[in-house]
Amino acid sequence: MDLNYTPEDIAFRKQVRTWLEQNLPKQEIRTLEDRRAWHRKLYDAGYLGMGWPKEYGGGGARPMQQAIVADEMAQANAPAPTNSLGLGIVGPTIVVHGTDAQKRRYLKKILSAEELWCQLYSEPNAGSDLAALRTSAVDQGDHFLVNGQKIWTSGGSIADWGLLLARTDPKVSKHKGITCFLMNMRQPGVDVRPLKQITGSSEFSEVFMTNARVEKGDQIGKLGEGWGIAQTTLGYERGGRALARVTTYSSQFHRLTEAAKRLRRHGKPLFEDPVVRQKLGRIWSEVEVERYQALRTLTLLERGEHPGAGGSLTKLSYSEFEKRFMELALEILGPYGQLTEGAPEDFKLQIDTAVGDHGSWAYAYLWSRAGTIYAGSSEIQKNVIGERILGLPKETRADRVGGKA
Amino acid sequence: MNFSFSDDQILLKNSVRAALDEQCKPAHVRSMSEDPIGYSDQLWGEMAKLGWLGLPFPEEQGGAGLGLVELALVIEEMGRAAYPGPFFATVVLGGLGLMLGGSAAQKDKWLSAIAAGKARATAALLEEHLDWDPAATAATAAKSGAGWTLSGLKRFVPWAHAADVVLVPARSPEGLSLFLVDPKSAGVTLKPMIGIDLANRWSEMRLDKVAVGAEAILGRPGTAGPLLDSLLRRAAVMSSAEMLGAARRCLDMSVEYVKVRDQFGQPIGSFQAIRHRCAEMLLEAENAHAAVYYASWALTAGAEDAAVASSICKAYVSDAARKVCGDAIQVHGGIGFTWEYDLHLYMKRAKGLEPLYGDTEYHRELIVRHVAAAK
Repeated sequence: MDLNYTPEDIAFRKQVRTWLEQNLPKQEIRTLEDRRAWHRKLYDAGYLGMGWPKEYGGGGARPMQQAIVADEMAQANAPAPTNSLGLGIVGPTIVVHGTDAQKRRYLKKILSAEELWCQLYSEPNAGSDLAALRTSAVDQGDHFLVNGQKIWTSGGSIADWGLLLARTDPKVSKHKGITCFLMNMRQPGVDVRPLKQITGSSEFSEVFMTNARVEKGDQIGKLGEGWGIAQTTLGYERGGRALARVTTYSSQFHRLTEAAKRLRRHGKPLFEDPVVRQKLGRIWSEVEVERYQALRTLTLLERGEHPGAGGSLTKLSYSEFEKRFMELALEILGPYGQLTEGAPEDFKLQIDTAVGDHGSWAYAYLWSRAGTIYAGSSEIQKNVIGERILGLPKETRADRVGGKA
Repeated sequence: MNFSFSDDQILLKNSVRAALDEQCKPAHVRSMSEDPIGYSDQLWGEMAKLGWLGLPFPEEQGGAGLGLVELALVIEEMGRAAYPGPFFATVVLGGLGLMLGGSAAQKDKWLSAIAAGKARATAALLEEHLDWDPAATAATAAKSGAGWTLSGLKRFVPWAHAADVVLVPARSPEGLSLFLVDPKSAGVTLKPMIGIDLANRWSEMRLDKVAVGAEAILGRPGTAGPLLDSLLRRAAVMSSAEMLGAARRCLDMSVEYVKVRDQFGQPIGSFQAIRHRCAEMLLEAENAHAAVYYASWALTAGAEDAAVASSICKAYVSDAARKVCGDAIQVHGGIGFTWEYDLHLYMKRAKGLEPLYGDTEYHRELIVRHVAAAK
């Protein structure tokens, strides 16, 4: 056990830091085109797709180097690149499961943000029970015809392409009749309607597909094997950015401490109140434990091992923590915690949110509710942990009995 | 960067577990709970032979020269077995205290004897109050000829009745100092303090004008503060390792139990209410593991954040172990509440250690002081 960074990693971190100092956008990013330009700059510097194979435009870098770049970006509060689903989920899925032609056609354009991607998984009645999805893809000989509805589609309104799960065989058991496709979002028959969230913004969309077309060559993996592919895809969602996430928590925590020093109650700064101190002490312990766990995950990745079901522990841990953190922060900040604008000038309540932008504590609080729902709710993660790590017996579930959906 | 155990460390852990599985079964824990002394000399001799008693000491003193990660691995296994005996008191409180502040002569005398299984030690870190801060020490040391006369009241002194030497903090005219006291000296009275964990013993230790020689002081008079801080940090992390072991045992017993216990025609582990609780128990145990081994490494390596990491460790693991052990009783139902079933042996070990060497609130306060100082 040695938790020191190697001299090589320290040097690399320094190099990334210097690059960010020199290249961070001077003005706030406002338009999608600004964000694409920043994305391209990051890619040209070699800081995106770092772990992807070199022959498809990636960097073939070690997991630690990827973690360092993400961490330094969080440290510098750098804006996020634009194609996060393409980079985080679609690209890795194509790398692992795609054909050579698919890799050549799509990967480079994901990396350069020439084509933006979304993920077409959840449906109104198939969220946590994702395999209950009903969107159908019917074989028309040279192509598939897609009909159905998706929901909670992040980035749907800006996406050029979507990674789609659709039912290709309604007669077999529900986990076996699903296939994975790449679908062009810019075609007649695909209708994207932004969905306003409790935060007031619209990162999500509903997507309606009416006789939309998917080419035969855009099927990923074999017919009926989409469920297994979705499992690995969700695995990518649960890996990766652990260290950077902790760095964001830690900068949020220091902002909270600053606020607790300025706000007063009973004539004394909140920071001197023993109850507040206990709350702060608890949050900082949990932030640090998340950091230790991030280092454990990185150790596995560095050795070429996949965290597997252990990723469920990571996701459960940080998403539940984030909710507790924001709840305690709003308790400490009192009425100021709920402000979305109009905070007094001398009392900055702006924090760096998880999405790499400035935001209010209220916004971060509302966002924290999403983490325990998306990408497999906490309840689903606990089922996975119980069954796959602890080896507890499976429930008797109607959808696992017999051969029909 | 590597947050995993080496092959040697895994070998050590496995060998400790195998030895304790063999020699520290629940029946042994129960019989020692009723024994007036409370531990087995034979197992003590075995531990000396296996090299556990000298594990962190320098090789010149018969030790293995290993670090706190290895010591935590051993102590975690002892928590898992609810080991009854003065290992923690001797190796952590006495041994590490001597290692941190002892003279060459003191180390030669005591560390060699401890490593060889010939001497047992402990430290008297708490008095009447609940404050673990060494600065709160009220016991006094008055100059008397070449030596000192110690007076005061110490409480919760682990295994003092079995010890050959006790590290006693006391306030001399120069300030906080640390002395080596033979608990059989004239003027020392020991009174047993019995907690819920019958396999772990404490004493109240009254010192009434106890005379010690000039050689009994550790370091220079008035300089014991930093040493005691370091010792307390080590005790906090090592006791966290012991709580972690106890919690892991509770979790393992629970998982085995819910796989076979049938209710409503199915094993209860198939019910989400039970499965989700077990998943939360595992999450807490894994987070506690990260906290224990991070802090053990940081203290050994002298990392910048070693002090705050030790407080984070004790605060986090105390809460986590309480939850895991408590949930274990819940998922076991009535059987978990019976004296004959072994679960409570481990639950009580964790609960007994929770308020020692600084409880959650104490350490959270230290964490916030650190955060305030860092920013």
